[in-house]
Amino acid sequence: MGLLSSAIALTACSPTPAPSGPVALDSRYNDEQPALSGDGRFLAFVSNREGMRNILLYDLREQRYLPLPRLNRRDAIAEAPSLSYTGRYIAYMASDSARPEVELYDRATQQTKILTIGYRGWFRNPKISPDGRYIVFETSNRGQWDIEVLDRGPGVELDLPDYQRPQPSPTSSSP
Amino acid sequence: MNVLPRALFSLTVLSLLASCTGPRLLNFPYDPSGRGLNSQFSDQNPAIAGRYIVFVSDRRNSQSIYLYDTVNRGIVELPGLNASDLLAETPTLSDDGRYIAFTGTRNGATDIYLYDRTTRQLRNLTTNLNGQVRNPSLSANGNAIAFESSATGQWDVLIYNRFGQPINGWPTPASP
Repeated sequence: MGLLSSAIALTACSPTPAPSGPVALDSRYNDEQPALSGDGRFLAFVSNREGMRNILLYDLREQRYLPLPRLNRRDAIAEAPSLSYTGRYIAYMASDSARPEVELYDRATQQTKILTIGYRGWFRNPKISPDGRYIVFETSNRGQWDIEVLDRGPGVELDLPDYQRPQPSPTSSSP
Repeated sequence: MNVLPRALFSLTVLSLLASCTGPRLLNFPYDPSGRGLNSQFSDQNPAIAGRYIVFVSDRRNSQSIYLYDTVNRGIVELPGLNASDLLAETPTLSDDGRYIAFTGTRNGATDIYLYDRTTRQLRNLTTNLNGQVRNPSLSANGNAIAFESSATGQWDVLIYNRFGQPINGWPTPASP
């Protein structure tokens, strides 16, 4: 709630600059690393609002910021967000320990989970699949940047539009 | 004591547990011939949607975009996408793998490009935009693309449709 109320306070108290040139979300801050949800409704990005780099989630339809309780922490840097289909899952990099880890945030439970704990090497650039089951990222294990695919498992609640049927995926067999 | 069956039983339970619980890394074999997901060169900027993983690789002596099919376990050809004078970075793809957007640098100019696998057309979406652009992100149906622009002297997020037009209704700064 802190983030939401601060964001509201911030926008409510500041004069509204007239949009010039390309229409942007906000021209007063550096906004980086945008990620659209699969349905195109939500935008996650990294911003330097409030004097520190945080991940923000914006609802493009309702035109408001959504709170991400327990995602952004004072003692950690969260960046490189990516979103599942309806924005339920956010995969991102979190640097709150010696090594930056790939983390997953579930907006339904408001819980974060470290996905790369126990794996060797360095990680960067995570991207979640629209259904929320798979996360791809880079690892340094072989002395260069390689690609890993993490499967959260068949038991996870998928983030799918209602009409969508299961698709072929990395763990289904060849036709 | 019947040790062997008991040990086998424990093993079975353990392997069942291991296969059913928690996240695991999928094994896509390293392929020195360059037809796999990983090669002996740098493979970076992966994005996954449906059965496809799009990424950037140096495996053929230039930094190019590759598409990997996780079901058929092979590289999908992208005719008309990569060119010797185009440096490609940070690809993103639609859910059906039809559209691939990426940051491309040609003759010193960096733009957001969109590739359509069905028509094999490559389109520059930001020809009319000054400054630098980077980090595109496609929606699942490929109709919307968000990216960073430095046109105002700092990094801002813009959203275009796949015809290179700013999306109407993309919010202006909030009213008091």
